[in-house]
Amino acid sequence: MNLCSSILGVVFAALFASVAFTQDKADFVPQPGQFPPAGTGTYIAGELVIVDPVNRRGGFRLDGDGSERYHGGPLHYFAMLPYGMIFYNGAPAELRDIPIGTHVHGYFYVPPLGEEETIPSLPKDQAQFQIKQNHAISLEDDFSFYQRRGQAWKVVSIDTKKGKITVAPTGETAKDGLGKPYTFDIDDVTRVWKGRKLVDLADVAADQAVQFNLGWAQGWRDKEYGVSDIWLDDESRKFATELQHRRHVRYQKQHWLPGWIDSVEHNDFGGGTVTLTLFGGMDPSLYAELKATQEKGFGVAAAEKTLRTWFHRGDKKIGQVIEWKETENPPPGSSGIQVRLKFTELLDGYRPGRCVRVKCHDWIFVTMPPEERVKSLEDQKRGLTLSLP
Amino acid sequence: MTTHVFTPILLLFVIASAASATEDTAAFDAKVLPFLQAHCLRCHGPEKKKGDFRLDLLSRNFTDIQATQPWAEVITRVNAGEMPPKDEPRPKADEIGKVVEWLSARMKEGEASRMALRGPVAHYRLSREEYGHTVYDLLGVYFDVNIPGAFNDDPRWHGFDRIGSMLTLSPSHVDRYFQAAETVLSRAFPEQPPVARKERKEANAKQEKWLQEQGMAGPVRWLFWPGRGEHLVTTSTPGLYRIRVQLSGLPSFKGRLPHLALWHHGLKRSVVGMDVSAPEDKPTIVEIEAFLPEGGFNLMNESPGMLSEGHALSNTNFTFVNTKVTRPNKPTGYKLFNDEGQSIFPLLIVDWVECEGPILPDADKRKREGMIPVKDGDLAEARESLKRFAERAWRRPATEAEIDRYIKVVQSELKEGEKFQAAYRAAMVGILTSKNFYYLEEGSPTARRKTVNEWELASRLSYFFWSSMPDEPLFEAARSGTLSKPDVLGAQLARMFNDSKIDRFTESFPRQWLQLHKVGLFPPDPELYPDYDKWLEKSMVLESTGFFAEVFKSDLSLREFLASDWTMLNPRLAMHYNLPPLAASGLQRVTLRPEEHRGGLLTQASVLMLTSDGTRHRPVHRGVWVSEAIFGRTPPPPPPNVEPLAPTPSKAPKATIRMQLEAHDTHTTCASCHRKIDPLGFAFDNFDAMGRWRTEEWVPAGQGQNPPVNATGVLPDGRAYKGPDEFKQLLVQDLDKFAEAFVEQLATYALRRVMTIDDAAQIKAIAQASKKDDYKLRKVIENLVMSDLFQKR
Repeated sequence: MNLCSSILGVVFAALFASVAFTQDKADFVPQPGQFPPAGTGTYIAGELVIVDPVNRRGGFRLDGDGSERYHGGPLHYFAMLPYGMIFYNGAPAELRDIPIGTHVHGYFYVPPLGEEETIPSLPKDQAQFQIKQNHAISLEDDFSFYQRRGQAWKVVSIDTKKGKITVAPTGETAKDGLGKPYTFDIDDVTRVWKGRKLVDLADVAADQAVQFNLGWAQGWRDKEYGVSDIWLDDESRKFATELQHRRHVRYQKQHWLPGWIDSVEHNDFGGGTVTLTLFGGMDPSLYAELKATQEKGFGVAAAEKTLRTWFHRGDKKIGQVIEWKETENPPPGSSGIQVRLKFTELLDGYRPGRCVRVKCHDWIFVTMPPEERVKSLEDQKRGLTLSLP
Repeated sequence: MTTHVFTPILLLFVIASAASATEDTAAFDAKVLPFLQAHCLRCHGPEKKKGDFRLDLLSRNFTDIQATQPWAEVITRVNAGEMPPKDEPRPKADEIGKVVEWLSARMKEGEASRMALRGPVAHYRLSREEYGHTVYDLLGVYFDVNIPGAFNDDPRWHGFDRIGSMLTLSPSHVDRYFQAAETVLSRAFPEQPPVARKERKEANAKQEKWLQEQGMAGPVRWLFWPGRGEHLVTTSTPGLYRIRVQLSGLPSFKGRLPHLALWHHGLKRSVVGMDVSAPEDKPTIVEIEAFLPEGGFNLMNESPGMLSEGHALSNTNFTFVNTKVTRPNKPTGYKLFNDEGQSIFPLLIVDWVECEGPILPDADKRKREGMIPVKDGDLAEARESLKRFAERAWRRPATEAEIDRYIKVVQSELKEGEKFQAAYRAAMVGILTSKNFYYLEEGSPTARRKTVNEWELASRLSYFFWSSMPDEPLFEAARSGTLSKPDVLGAQLARMFNDSKIDRFTESFPRQWLQLHKVGLFPPDPELYPDYDKWLEKSMVLESTGFFAEVFKSDLSLREFLASDWTMLNPRLAMHYNLPPLAASGLQRVTLRPEEHRGGLLTQASVLMLTSDGTRHRPVHRGVWVSEAIFGRTPPPPPPNVEPLAPTPSKAPKATIRMQLEAHDTHTTCASCHRKIDPLGFAFDNFDAMGRWRTEEWVPAGQGQNPPVNATGVLPDGRAYKGPDEFKQLLVQDLDKFAEAFVEQLATYALRRVMTIDDAAQIKAIAQASKKDDYKLRKVIENLVMSDLFQKR
């Protein structure tokens, strides 16, 4: 099995499989220790307005629908599910990698059992705007969302004087998102990318197949958008993806790959055997590196549902890999990789359904900056809920 | 032993008996000479002497090391297949076997005789264990002979650490005896007597405020998971201490009990321990009375499961009240409870600890009475006191001339300006560092006695059963010259059997006989035996020594050592044997069912482990052990440069060790011995290196399934067995032979020397005399003590 291509492939396939909002799917409650079946998430899009990158939470302004929510309603606050995947510029990402003001697409679930308070309820005066699907399994900018679904935009026309660009979908058509010809705002500070360079609007020509990222526009209430970036050719898109890829790889090597515990077999004389599944959405090279060095054992640190660790370089225990198993077509959120490890001692956090981060032997140990670490039980408690701004 | 199983020719070399010499020559001519003539003498005889070596002129006096050495070389070369050379006709395996066996037997007998060769006075140095017991019985002072730096480990001969010829004396011994004497006397007669104290530490002390803040009723308790402990006991001086602990002992989710231990900071090991079982809401109070060295002790849970990496402990600190309300709640802490809320590990939950001591019992105090002069400066009283002390320490009357020497020491010290008590102490040190103390002397320089005298007999008895000096009734019987009379001797023996010090015999003899010092010599592979721990190791030895003690206490037959429907277990061993959990902690007699395949000594984990190498069982070692411990026969040593068993090639089918050993049967030089040794070991192939029952053998390398165990075999006399149970029954059929071997082991221990062909007839007679009493252990011992052999010098 070609690990790199297959993992990204199954992730995309799973996301493609998601369908439009229906009542049944909208009420699907993610179960502890189980990845939701493909296609059960609710599609919601909007512009990222605030983020709590450490706890993987944020809020966005929903796409306009002509209603008064734009003026009178609150942001849609959300939390990433621990196995929730984020993409930016075509590469795996963290919430911190997506600039504020970026239009994003997500698939959401109602809170898992026991996590109803993670996103606090809206104040009474805004209660009518409450959207119960506030736990995201995926979040992507336009570039990633459309490109990963095989859809690009063909430039129909550009009018720099009027500040308008009209595009039409080309290639595959994404089921969700803007699946029809559309006119966006554009101006002379829109970033236009060609090759590895920043170019001008003059380089945009009709019939070009492009990708773009969107943001706020004056007519947001009526579902209008402004173009913040536009990528004119493959090279420019690959370059943008590579930049994000590098940022992502560094981050994961420092923070380690997330996963959760499937089962634990205890010995009453110390240690035991732990089976864990790695979450999906990471760069395939990271899984490949882990697989290639499995005989050296993995460090496994206990993590919160936010994927924050405590003092992972010190807390982790090193397990010897007994079995490495890959499953075809795993559900969204899962990498399809399950590992059995033998430990001489077990941490309290090694419990079914609990999150961990897994370190490849060859990655250099770093100490996380203090704000990223869970430092105390009080700190842990504070991290359970989003603090509304 | 060694010797009596071979053709009795040793006397030829020891006392030059003409009859024996004839017999020996005839045996040599019949069994060895034809082989030499056929295969050796053509090149190493009168016509040629290749390598400047002639076999026909070799002396056959095997009591002489110079004469024996060339024969050892002959055996080695023939065994290794070097001789005869490859271009010469090969002798058959049987031929080689006969010659090697005959020569080995003669060499073995020679060795025994050399060791047993005695002059007019025989000296037997006290083993360190005996030294410790002796100073305790002499002065009531606990002196830990095992503490690092006290004494060296004593050399052993087939497990026995009290064989006189092995226990030599070096300058370092003398230096250590001097230091030990100083220490013992300073503790017996301290300038400032230690003050006995009683301290109590409570987990709930000063926790009221915390409990109030938490809204809990309490009390706060100490939670000790495996490897966890607190420094709760401190001893100011070595001595007897009484420690009381109120605690609960919760089993693991698999039923393993926690093990309470007192762990000494200096020694870095526990000195006392016990399993504890008590519900969380019904704590029990345990009391430990033990001699403890000076220093700090952790009260700890010494069950297996200690942290291997250690640092997670810091994340697991929390104040504990009970398992329902208190849990380690950091995910980075040590995991103690499973998802059902059960404790993963055996837990100790401690409320308080009391430590009282050092305690000086009246009986110990009385031992010191009359040993030091009361009046300062009174040399006459000093002489009387020194005489009393010397007679007890030396276990015989001291002459006036001997005491004079020590009075001179006192005078000399006084002259140097020492105070009277210090000068007197110097003389006492002299008595304790005299050879008369650390040697048991038997015989007289002036008269060649054939038997021991009354005083020597008293010491023989006391060191046999108590590993220590005689007590006053024994001294009195010796003093009156009546001890050797059968009725007095019998009465003293009965009295000694009933003394609590007999526990020293029932612990020490089986430990030495069965070579239990080897248990744990090869630490087990933690990958293969991850739940192995020191307590299991100790429990294995406890089963064997406890088994012997039970046979002694209940006066059972020697047959029980070979096969029994009971054994002595504690909960740790019951778990190791996969037997039903025991209701009580501590060593206890447990009835066995046939399907459990235990009973007798041979299927005890201690024996099965000491004949393994930590990774795998060793059938040949097991065979040799059975041959030595049960039949008293030491097989010839293996030839040098024997290739170790090669691991199974990864592409070959998995093979048991037995299958690999079959190769030896096809090798001429190995087959003759292995045919006799291996069947004694294969019988126990159903037990792995830790003594656990199995039906298939785990093999790390090779293809396919692990092969099934084959524990069948045929004894050299043709009797076949299937598995260990049938094998044990075959041994029971040989009870008479075993009884003889056992008496020999007992006599070796009692007489502190290797038995020789000289002793064989008496050993046989003792065994035969015991048969009518069904070889009951006490009767066997009594028959030994009442025999001529016991009083023979």
